[in-house]
Amino acid sequence: MPNYKLTRRDFLKASGASLFLAGIPLQGFTQDKPPGKISVIILEGGMDGLSAVPAFGDPNFEKMRGILVPENYLKLNSFFGLHPSLKNLSSLMASNNASIVHATSFPYKKRSHFEGQNLIQGGGLTPFSEKTGWLGRSLELAKIPGRALSLEMPLILRGYGENDNFFPAKINNSSKININLVEKLTAAHGKLGSDVFEKVKQKSLLTLENMPRDPQSLAEYAGKAMAKKDGPTASVIRLSGFDSHASQDDGNGNDHGIDLAKIDGVIAAYKRGLGGAWDNSIILTITEFGRTVAVNGTRGTDHGYGSAGIIAGGAISKSRVISDWPGLAKNEQYEQRDLMSTIDYRSVCAACIEKSLGLDHDLIASKVFFEPKLPRVFDYLFS
Amino acid sequence: MNEHFRIAQKLGLMFRPEETLPTDIKRWAIKQLQSPSPSLGIGNVGSDVKPWPKIFQPSLDEKAVKLRIHWETTKRERKKEGGFTEAAQRANDRDNLMYKKDILRFSHRNVYGSDQLRLRLMSFWANHFTIGSFDSREVIGHAMEEAILANFNDSFSTMLYKVTTHPGMLSYLDNHISAGPNSNQVRWAKANGEQAGLNDNLGRELLELHTVSPSANYTETDIRNAAKVLAGWGIDIKGNPLSSLMDQGGTTNLWDMYKRNWAEPGNKMVLGKTIGTGKGGLKQLTDFLAAHEHTVMHLSTKLAEHFVSDVPNKTDVNYIASAWRQSNGNLDQIHTAVIERAIASKEPKFQLPMTWLFQVLRLSNATYFMGWNEINTSNNSLKFNMQPMQIFDELGQNLWAERQPNGYSSKKEEWMSGEMFERRIRFADSIWTSDSQIQSTSVIMDRIGASKETRKLVESLHGMSSRSKKNQFIALMCSPELMGLENA
Repeated sequence: MPNYKLTRRDFLKASGASLFLAGIPLQGFTQDKPPGKISVIILEGGMDGLSAVPAFGDPNFEKMRGILVPENYLKLNSFFGLHPSLKNLSSLMASNNASIVHATSFPYKKRSHFEGQNLIQGGGLTPFSEKTGWLGRSLELAKIPGRALSLEMPLILRGYGENDNFFPAKINNSSKININLVEKLTAAHGKLGSDVFEKVKQKSLLTLENMPRDPQSLAEYAGKAMAKKDGPTASVIRLSGFDSHASQDDGNGNDHGIDLAKIDGVIAAYKRGLGGAWDNSIILTITEFGRTVAVNGTRGTDHGYGSAGIIAGGAISKSRVISDWPGLAKNEQYEQRDLMSTIDYRSVCAACIEKSLGLDHDLIASKVFFEPKLPRVFDYLFS
Repeated sequence: MNEHFRIAQKLGLMFRPEETLPTDIKRWAIKQLQSPSPSLGIGNVGSDVKPWPKIFQPSLDEKAVKLRIHWETTKRERKKEGGFTEAAQRANDRDNLMYKKDILRFSHRNVYGSDQLRLRLMSFWANHFTIGSFDSREVIGHAMEEAILANFNDSFSTMLYKVTTHPGMLSYLDNHISAGPNSNQVRWAKANGEQAGLNDNLGRELLELHTVSPSANYTETDIRNAAKVLAGWGIDIKGNPLSSLMDQGGTTNLWDMYKRNWAEPGNKMVLGKTIGTGKGGLKQLTDFLAAHEHTVMHLSTKLAEHFVSDVPNKTDVNYIASAWRQSNGNLDQIHTAVIERAIASKEPKFQLPMTWLFQVLRLSNATYFMGWNEINTSNNSLKFNMQPMQIFDELGQNLWAERQPNGYSSKKEEWMSGEMFERRIRFADSIWTSDSQIQSTSVIMDRIGASKETRKLVESLHGMSSRSKKNQFIALMCSPELMGLENA
């Protein structure tokens, strides 16, 4: 159950979430299965890493953060804590099923949502350089055959030929899709259109249950689907609302706490849905940038650089906060305003791909992220 | 498709059956820019098309009054005063919230209006200046009509200023609570141990998305200084009594709300330009940005991508940019240049789901949106009970949805998904099934001059059953020709 009261406003916000499932084996196809399952939660807007994971041990933390220091934060160790909205994550940390990577970012410093979102999904060297996404390329490399089942196709999953998206329609007066009609449309369209109608045809062969659209239900649904014998290998959930320019200060589960609680709830729902499959699963968050260290004038923070990443799942055997802490003093901040990033988050993504899809790090580094020298951080996360 | 419908597809919403086709299509298209249509619609499903009643087209002041009443009533309800009931809440929503009627009026205009080119351009600019928050939804329709459409015969700089100062935009991008670091407001707040000051949300998007784009290589200082110019503009559109508006802004006009005590004193430098202190600073800034070469190129490209081709060639972009420069940003001249390039380019342009839906409804003369009398009642006829909000959500393109300020992409690659295409089939089915008086597929094909390939596709589904007729209709509407895609 949601651990916060869902108001009408929150429902409408929450309904903006979308789910993407990928790597569902084709019927009758047998091949060695990848060692695990991977799920990515995209936090749209730029999550404030210092709100989610306060570094209360830093001598400058309270001075720099002022009203944004959550009052009842949950203690992780002598240096880091968790926002009070992340209760479930806290217990996963306690049971060695989750880790935090702090002061980390994709290599992007220009603070534009749209360039940043493109880069963290495309996984290329510069924004808009890639037409495919890092997860799509990984699935392609792992040769996981089949079909993937959102309303649009997110960049992160593109590049994987058989990908498809999924978001059940609620349209009055429309009946079951006629196969013959779709076949004729597929034949009549050029390659671009016919490839898509081909997917509509496959979709119309499925029976999809009616499902709710809030993020937690989507996550539980994804978990259940992935737990099935021939279920998808990968899923992506997109959550909006992290662009906290204003009113993020309330530590009582209101304001920004509601958005953080969404992450917490989505991870919990994945776990419920995955059941036994939790044990070989990895769930990780990505966000386009972190935020300014100091609070801005409107009880929020503006676009910045370094943030925190959350990694959860049974594939983790020892919980850690992994960080090469840069410090929060003015001269330790990036451009004297943002949390510095000292860990390339692509390394974290690469480690999660290595663990779940069984691909070699060097291959991931060169073929997925086009960065042959990308550091391997696998042992920090999974040993 | 014949030239009339090819151009109406690229630039407009298609001709309705009762509309007479113009003799000179290019002249007609350019003349559209000067030919506004009243807000046409239907009161009830089956009733005649006529102008929307005045009371459902409230001014910003009237909207503000309704919002104040809604907010006060909600507060009383929450305190359980005055017999709080679900029914009272519904009545409060019905009488005082306006977004549902605004979306319906927008839909009706697009289905019944005779100013199809202006409406397409309105949607383009409304998407360019996305206002996508729950808090702003009661005034999104107002911004579209009064800040955007009403300025079509003026300049881009006027439109930019009117949109930037619109209460919907100011609250969507958090500017209404932003105060200059050296303002009286911040001084008072600090003395009381409270937090007040600047945020750069609107300042950043004004540069990045609305005008010059990252290609201008602005710095964080430019963004922060733009935010300082903006500080003081805007106010919470529902939470303030009139006396407070007068106290803070010296006016009750929400579209001119400049709180002197929140403003940053002194000159500000943005992209090398000195912007003066005070209320006039913002107009100076938006005028400067509107004429900036990077704005001209950014928006000429964006217009060409939407109306001419996904990958417009240099000639297309330069033609529009040159009209922009020569006319000092006159929107009539810019839009005329867009029309000329769109007509000259023979490339099909993929139609986004919302435009496609309006085009299907106009071509087929189907009634699909409910009437304005029916919006707050549960219509007994199951056929017409989908709220416009739900229709656009299901289509995947909704100008009233909560969304990011970069808006929807015009490029087809962002819309190539099985689920999106499945919706087109389902909506075509739903439209056919909802209205038995619908125009027949063969009549539509004759009128638009459907291609050989399209006719072959429709013919391949020939049969005597009503299901075959339905599938032929769906096939036509989902054909490469009507979706704006290449044939096999």
